[in-house]
Amino acid sequence: MNSAQIEIQLIASLVAIACAIPGTFLVLRKMAMISDAISHSILPGIVIGFFITQDLNSPLLILLAALTGVITVVLVERIQKTGLVKEDTAIGLVFPALFSIGVIMIAKNANDIHLDVDAVLLGELAFAPFDRLIISGIDVGPKSLWIIGSILMATIGLLIAFFKELKISTFDVGLAASLGFSPALIHYGLMTVASVTTVGAFDAVGAILVVALMIAPAASAYLLTTDLKKMLGLAIVFGVFSAISGYWLAHWLDASIAGSITTILGLLFLVIYLFAPSKGLIAVMYREKQQRTEVSLLTFLLHLKNHSEERERHVNHLQEHINWQKVRAKTVLDLALKNNMIVIDKKIVSLTEKGDEFTSLAIDYIITNEDAQIEDMKDDFFLFRG
Amino acid sequence: MDKKLAVQIDDLTVAYNYKPVLWDIDLEIPEGVLMAIVGPNGAGKSTLIKATLGILKPIAGSVSIYGKPYNKQRSLVAYVPQKGSVDWDFPTTALDVVLMGTYGSLGWIKRPGLKEKKAALEALEKVGMLPFKDRQISQLSGGQQQRIFLARALVQDASIYFMDEPFQGVDATTEIAIINILKELRKAGKTVIVVHHDLQTVPEYFDWVTFLNVKKIATGPVKDIFNDDNLTKTYGINYKVSIQE
Repeated sequence: MNSAQIEIQLIASLVAIACAIPGTFLVLRKMAMISDAISHSILPGIVIGFFITQDLNSPLLILLAALTGVITVVLVERIQKTGLVKEDTAIGLVFPALFSIGVIMIAKNANDIHLDVDAVLLGELAFAPFDRLIISGIDVGPKSLWIIGSILMATIGLLIAFFKELKISTFDVGLAASLGFSPALIHYGLMTVASVTTVGAFDAVGAILVVALMIAPAASAYLLTTDLKKMLGLAIVFGVFSAISGYWLAHWLDASIAGSITTILGLLFLVIYLFAPSKGLIAVMYREKQQRTEVSLLTFLLHLKNHSEERERHVNHLQEHINWQKVRAKTVLDLALKNNMIVIDKKIVSLTEKGDEFTSLAIDYIITNEDAQIEDMKDDFFLFRG
Repeated sequence: MDKKLAVQIDDLTVAYNYKPVLWDIDLEIPEGVLMAIVGPNGAGKSTLIKATLGILKPIAGSVSIYGKPYNKQRSLVAYVPQKGSVDWDFPTTALDVVLMGTYGSLGWIKRPGLKEKKAALEALEKVGMLPFKDRQISQLSGGQQQRIFLARALVQDASIYFMDEPFQGVDATTEIAIINILKELRKAGKTVIVVHHDLQTVPEYFDWVTFLNVKKIATGPVKDIFNDDNLTKTYGINYKVSIQE
């Protein structure tokens, strides 16, 4: 690895962390689309900032562009508040309008500035190491690294200071307001951080990947944990993992770094969506299948409890009478046997003491919906996991 | 009654998009009552609480809590929002939600410490939810979620409790558990204000009642004003409730 490669991976990783932090809260606030809007509508801000500063890495440009991001949020909210259109429509109206103003401004001044639409949409991480920050003649590293590094430090500082406030205003706006934590202030604070991060990352990874880096790691983490701090941590890990492996994928394919990182993010989400232990698609399907079996088991046990006559409890009879297919009947019978809930004597099925007790408890639970006495059963049976 | 006034609301008017939802409300709530706010859907019951707590801005009128504006008296007030107003899939545990009740007294930036955690555990114990303290909140039943909300209000250790439909979607056992805790609070001299839907239980649960339908219809002791006349005025149809002794 040469030093340019290390620098690119470092920049990509810092961008990923800086995006994952506001991204986690955007996902929890169901505002993922807002990051898409911000990432596009900061374009006119960047262009105007560039006219003024002539430097894509100037802090003034970043602030100006971030301001356009916050204006986007305000405009979306204003349009939505009229009650004439819904939020998604408002977003769809605002950001193309602002973005197209930016596109026209670039086209009109194409001769004077080296800003092209491709670079804005897709970024060019590979060129980041060429633009160096020189302080009194000493090369201290790529400018992008310093910019995203400063933004990340500020973001982490704010996160640590206002973690509690962010949490309460995300979970329960009403309580936050009644306790005096201004939810509006926190909302616009978060929007500002998201905007500044977007601008800071823009140059390196472009408008589209910024959105992917904000949303995909947080959405993946959301499927894996039920703890906000862990969700933040996982989102950061996923972001950095995708940044680094995306870089090497691009290296190997000789393709766009931004595109490769986004592809990895997508694949990562897909894998987690399928295989997450409790919220994943496969786990959910498995659980539903288990639940079906257990409802059948309960139906069967109840049938035994209600019928003392042997005719009703004959193995062959069960099949035709409860109207189950052979396979299902066998599964249920095996499950009941395995749990010592029934005994089969000369093809006559009867409940054991344990089976009898279980059936009463389960029925009690279903009727009263009271949780206390069922706690022990929950581990063994999905049915009671609500 | 020459009791102190816990809450005084004067000429309160609240509008959504210029359509009034609360119209010129004057309301005095004496200290130490357990009060129900009743009225049809859209009567502005939740809005009344939200405007009182500064969550919504009224277009006219004022609210005072023990004689001072709400924002000076936050520490005296606890609030239980409607259960449906939050996302129960939020990645957090029962204990953590209860801890949020301590955020008000902590103020900005400071984090809850051991003392706050102890208070939260005590509140969980009080509502019978201690065994569930580490459970993710989406894994709780509706009744358990409501108990968590109640515990969060208890941990605020306030003088006045505002509760928005605490009995909505809870099982009978939880309803009894909640009302017993509310009655205990009243015994301890606290004022409890509850948005309530089930008219049958008003006389059994509450000693004070406010009828609301955009305007205030009546307010006072249940035994004096909880009658067919006021119910008819509030609900607009001929209402008959059998008042149990």
